[in-house]
Formats: sequence, structure tokens, C-alpha cells
Amino acid sequence: MNQPRILSRINQDEFFGRAAEVSDIVRQSSAFPDARTLVLMTTPDAGASELLRHAYDELFRRRGELVPIHFAFRRSDGSAVETARRFFHTLLQQYVAYRRVNPALCKETLTFYDLLEVALPGDYELITNLIEGFHREEAAEKDLIDFCLSLPNRLLAEGRTVYPLIDCTKMGPFQEDMVTPQLLLTELSQAELPFVVAGLRRQANKLIHGVDDREWAAKATLHVDHLSESSAQALVESLARRYGIELNQTTRDLIVQQLNASPLFITEFMRAARGGQTSLTSYLSCQRLYVDELLGGSIKRHFDRILQTIAPAAQTNRTLMRVLYESAMSDTGKASLWTWKKRLGLAAPEFEHVIDALHIYELVNSTAAFIEVNSGSHVWMDYLRAHYRVEVEAEPRAKVVAETLLEALKRAPQTMNLKYRREAAVGLPRLLPQFNCQSLPASLFHYDRFAAAYKGENAAAIDNGLDAETDLIQLPQVIQTAACAFYASNIEGDRERCVVAHAFESAEYTDENQVVWIAAEIESKLEASRELTEEWYERMATFARESGFARYRIWLIAPEGFSQPAATLLREREAFGSSRQQVQLIAARLRAESKVEKPKADEYEMTIPMGDDSELIAASTVEKIARRVNFKPEAVNQIKTALVEACINAAEHSLSPDRKIYQRFVVEDDRLVVIVASRGVLPAQLAGENGQGVSAGQNGGKGRRGWGLKLIKTLMDEVEFEHVDAGTQLKMTKYIR
Amino acid sequence: MAETTGDNSIQTRDVGDAAIIYASDYLNKLTGERIERECRRQFDSGRRALIINFRDTELVNSIGVSILVGLIDAAEQNTARLIFSDVNSHTATLFEMLGLTRHVSVAANEDEALSWISADEPIA
Repeated sequence: MNQPRILSRINQDEFFGRAAEVSDIVRQSSAFPDARTLVLMTTPDAGASELLRHAYDELFRRRGELVPIHFAFRRSDGSAVETARRFFHTLLQQYVAYRRVNPALCKETLTFYDLLEVALPGDYELITNLIEGFHREEAAEKDLIDFCLSLPNRLLAEGRTVYPLIDCTKMGPFQEDMVTPQLLLTELSQAELPFVVAGLRRQANKLIHGVDDREWAAKATLHVDHLSESSAQALVESLARRYGIELNQTTRDLIVQQLNASPLFITEFMRAARGGQTSLTSYLSCQRLYVDELLGGSIKRHFDRILQTIAPAAQTNRTLMRVLYESAMSDTGKASLWTWKKRLGLAAPEFEHVIDALHIYELVNSTAAFIEVNSGSHVWMDYLRAHYRVEVEAEPRAKVVAETLLEALKRAPQTMNLKYRREAAVGLPRLLPQFNCQSLPASLFHYDRFAAAYKGENAAAIDNGLDAETDLIQLPQVIQTAACAFYASNIEGDRERCVVAHAFESAEYTDENQVVWIAAEIESKLEASRELTEEWYERMATFARESGFARYRIWLIAPEGFSQPAATLLREREAFGSSRQQVQLIAARLRAESKVEKPKADEYEMTIPMGDDSELIAASTVEKIARRVNFKPEAVNQIKTALVEACINAAEHSLSPDRKIYQRFVVEDDRLVVIVASRGVLPAQLAGENGQGVSAGQNGGKGRRGWGLKLIKTLMDEVEFEHVDAGTQLKMTKYIR
Repeated sequence: MAETTGDNSIQTRDVGDAAIIYASDYLNKLTGERIERECRRQFDSGRRALIINFRDTELVNSIGVSILVGLIDAAEQNTARLIFSDVNSHTATLFEMLGLTRHVSVAANEDEALSWISADEPIA
């Protein structure tokens, strides 16, 4: 159930992928005094501000001993004294709201007089004294700032402990913007208070290091990144349901990929779709909206605001845009600091200001010598390209819109292909670090030996055979892995599929033991041929030599393994070669927590129209699937009948607008899950069906109708009837016995 | 013995005073109603012994079953004998699950059904 929002702006059921972080923040209030401070280091646009607001709401509802206080510094904050006043007022108001158990007070506009009116009688004297103190100190700015920022300490002195959640993610990027936050953090760190401070990850360190406190080291750190892919997908779907936007899985995934799973961009994008009543059912409709947002919508405003903050003067802003664009388009994507400084034409302090700010917002990656435009964000690069053309090159806007849209459309299938390839990869970056000096059967790294021994065997026989092998390979201890592409830009393939792992051959860290494993996935529908294998081997060997790796081991992985001549070649070159099956076995034996350990369930989907006995088509499909996974004939019939009933239910009861039944058949190790969904409404008579006991023939078998769901429950092992926003969904599970 | 095809392709066969009605491969609303119509036609014409043969029936849904329940009622009201025959094991389980077997006799095959009817003669 959704709890009423207090400070949060997004409903609890639409706040995806942050439950663990909220728990961490809530737990921190009781972790005191082990690590009093929790520092949230966040990627820009990752939704850390909303995370803090949700944590506040949760703390408010839990009614712990500590009074939660939420305060956010803003980019638009004026003088220090104004910010301090706002802090004092906010804290007092939230304190009174919490004590009164009245969340509404948090958001009302209340004067000091109002606060005194609503304060608990037991707090009246304390609040009066604090407000009097505030007025007393107003004469001198510095005294007032000190007084306001020390309010948590003053409350503590009166035996009232607060738990401040300080949001610094929206403050300005410059050194001078950090002064007041650092004053506050110094006050908090000197008090015996637990507190949370959130900042952009490239700014948080500066913020913390500017605080004068010996105990600062006693802190915990929480990293907040963009959403996971599944959470981002759930967010898109949820917003689409709420806003009544038509969407399909392909466009959902495109939105997630293109917007880098940023909750901020996703939310703004979906709001724009609602505003324009745009249906998002095709690449074209998605990309058209995306380009609109890029050139005149929320994405434009977002980056405009940042660049305006960094370089407010019009001329500097234009020059900055030009330098950013030209750097991004250069072959290497980076240029020296000296080049940037010369081209921007700024004095040293101003130049440092600009570069620092660009770095903090992760628009560039700046080191002591080089500046590299962050090309990892599609959105930022698209903005840069489009706005450079419109604002610097003064190209006709219509032309830029058209060409940006064309490019976005051409890129959409590539973006999705990349995602699919990534998902299909065996997960080398996660597998190699699991090696950890373990020994595995050598046949797992030599396809020809493996094929000779185990081809056609069942899983148990392979496991037994591997257990009995005495020829073992001791794997190295992998110290660090990175994509080959980070070492050499000419290495093709995505980052999941070609990996460099620096390692030691045993736990003794000596030069002799140092080795580099280079692992690459080859694409080949059949066993990889000698030619293809040789080509990849040479490519990797050249890469190793050019990278200066003294000792290296090449491990090639082909989905179906290697032909005999290819396997011979690998043996001659002392390289390893494995099939996907072997890699899965390796992962399982290493207990690697990579996706290869547990292959994704097989999943089938089909949509049938309602009526005309179409349920027979579904039944016939599920029959084939069930037979493939070795259900007994009786169970197959039960599944078929249950599915037929589910289809009839959907057709009869859902008042479906599109008259379609959506089905998914998910095959897992020990079960088949059948999900039948339809759009429309959940009829009242079905709403409470979940959990009802099954009693077939309750009315002596002479009732009329209404047996469908009871039958399903009898025939299947688990049945869940769910009302989802878009309609109804029946999830039925049958275990393989 | 006469074998006929009734309206809408339902297959029937007369054996003495009994009529055998052949259910189709999928017993759903449509095919159930066809059987129902044929049964009622038989009752109306004075037939007092009916066998519904499920030899071709692979799949049954709950709407089809509910129509069979209606037929059981109709047979009772017409003091007629109704027997199901050649029911496959899955459908038999389903009938049992839904309590039909408490109200209707299920014979292994037509011969057994016919022998039960002969033993009952004359039907009142």
C-alpha cells in the first residue's frame, strides 16, 4: 500500500531500485556512534535527492527517538545568512511537525509565531527560547549564521536529538558554494549526532575534506548510481501506466538504454510523453519525443542550466560549447589542459573554475594534464552535438531537428543490439575475478578434450566426469579486470566481451608470477573455424604485445566451441578455448555470482485474440513447451486445461479494450510459469479470489459456471491473480515432478 | 442401427431405443450447446436413453462441463437415462473433480453403456 508522501515527490510504489539505500539511511540513525556519518556519493541525475526525501518520509513514519531533519542546499542559494536562516526555519518546522505527528506541517508556510502556536506544550519554552535567540543574533550576520547552523547542537544540549539528512547534490559547483555547507557539516561533526550528507561523487570529497573534524574518518559511504536496468524498466512501465501512455517492451528498453537508466531523465521524458499525449509504441515516436526534449524540452533545460551555471557570460558559454564539441569530435575525444585553456581564453582562476565544474557534473573527465569529454552519456553527447549546431554554427533549427532525428533513429537498433549482445555475453568481467587461485579440470579450458569426453552427456554425467578428472589447471588470482577497449581503442567488440585481467599465478606477488589473461568472446553460430580462431588469436596476441604485457594467456570463448583444426591451433599456441557450456560449468564451479552461473530462464511469449477458440492455439503451444521440459502427460493435460480456463476467464471477465490475451511461458529449472494477462478491468467477483481454498464440485457438481478459477487452482501448484494498473494478470506455476 | 449426422455436424447413432451422441475433440461452449440441442431434441422426441461418447474429446473446458451439468438436470427432469462413455483419463479426472460423476454414470465404452441400458429396460 502506498504511504502518503511527506517530502518525497514520487509515490513509494513508483520509487524503484532504492529500497536498500533507504534502509541503509534509516539504519544509520541507530548505527550511532560507530560511524556517525553516512556519506552518499552520487552520480549526477541518479535521484539521490529523492532518495533522501524518501528516507525522511520513512523515518517520519517509523517514529524513532531521533527526529529526522531534511535540508537541501540549492544552486540558487543566496548569501550565507539567507541559507542559514532557511536552515534554522526548516529545522524548527520539521521538528515541530515530527513532535506533533503532523506531516502536513512540514510543507506549510509557517511563521515563527505559527510554529509557537502549533508546538507541543512541552516544546513551547524550548521553541520560544530558540526563536528569541534567533532574533537576538540578527544584529550580526556572522553570529546569526553560527546560531542557526548550531541549532542541532542546541537541541542536543536540551536532550532533543535530531538526525539531519543534508542534501548537497544541488548546491553550486564552485569552491565558494561549499562554504556554508562546510560550516554546517563542521557543526554537525562536532556534535554527538549521526547524520547523512549527500553530494555529487566528484564534489563530495572536496566537501568532506574541507570540514575540520578529527572524527570525520568515522564515516560510512554509500554510492548511489543510476538505476539498475530492471528498476529503470519498472520505472518506465509504471510511469506509462500512470500517465496512460502506450508502450511496448522494445520501446521501454530503448528509453532505458538511451537515457542511461537515469531516473531524472526517464521521469521527465515520460512526463513529456504525457504532456504531448504521445504514444511510445515505435522507435520513431520515441526518438521524435527524445529529439523534442533535446532541443526544446527538459533535457535541454537541464544541460542549459548546468552550462549557464558554469559559464554565465554569453560569449564564454558559446566558446565553451565549441571547445566541448570539437574535443568530443576529435579522434581521441580528449585534449590537453593547455589546449583547452588557450582556446577558452580564460584567466587561470576562471579556467580552473570552469574545468572543475565540468568535471563535477561529469560532463568531462579532467586529470592533471588532459580533459576528455564524457562520451559515455548518450544524452549529453546528443545535447552537445545538437546545440553546437544550433547555437554556435547557427544552422537552421529545422535542419538540425531533422538530422538529429534521423541519427537517433539510425542509432536505435544499434543501441538495442548492443544491449542484447551485452545480455547474451557470458559475463567475463565478473567471472575472471572469481578465479582466485582455484583449480579446475583442464578439460574446461580445452574444447576438444571436453567435447570428446562429454558431448551428448547429461548434466549429472558431466559433473561426475569433471569431478573425477585429475588433470587440473590452477587459475591465477585476478587483481584487476578491465575491458580491452580501455587499453586500445582499435579493439572491437563491447566491453563485456573482451577483457584484460591482471593476475598473479599464485598468491605470491612476484614478477615471475605476474601474468595477464586476455579473454575474448568470439561470435560464431557453429564451432569456430581455424581461420576465425587464428584471426582472433592474432588480434589478441598483437594487442598483448602492443600493451607491453610480458607474460600473457589468451582464452577464447566461442558459443559452440571450436572445430578440431581450431582446437589444434589453440593448443599449438598454448591458448585456451572454451564453449559457452564450458564457461557455464566454470562459473558454477567457481561459484561465481555471475549470470552465467544461473542461465536466464527460457521464456516464450504469445498474444492471441479473444474468442474463436483461440485458447486452443495457446493450449497447443503450452503443450509443446511442457513436453519439451519433460512434464508427465497427465501434468501436460492439466497445464493445458488450466491455460484454457485462464484464457476463457480473460475473455469473459476483463472487459478488454483490445480483445487480446497476452501470455508468457517461463521455463525454470524446476517449474513452468504461465502468465496470462489482459487489459481491462478486474471484475468485483474475481477481486478476492486469491488464497481461496480449492474445493472442486463444492455445490455437488450441479452448479452452473464460475468453475474456471477453482479448476485452475486445482490443476496448478501455485496460482496468483493480480490486479495490475493496465488490467489483470493470472500467474500459474506447475512444478516438474 | 442408424448413424446420422445432426445439425451443425454433430454425429449421432441410434442403437435400439438408445441414441449415442458423439462429442467433438474440444468440448467448449459451442460444441457443448450442440450436444445440448441434440439431447433436448432426443428427449423431445421421446428418447429415454442417451449415451454421450467422448472418444474424440481431448480437451474440455468449464463452460462445456457446465452445459453437461445442465443436461444431467434435463435428463432427470425427463426421467431419461444419461450415460457418458469413452471418457479419457484426464477428462474423467476433471469430471470427478467437478462432481459430475456423482450424478451421471460413466461407462468405459459404448457396449458397456448399452448393456447398462438393456439391464434397465423398460425405462419408466
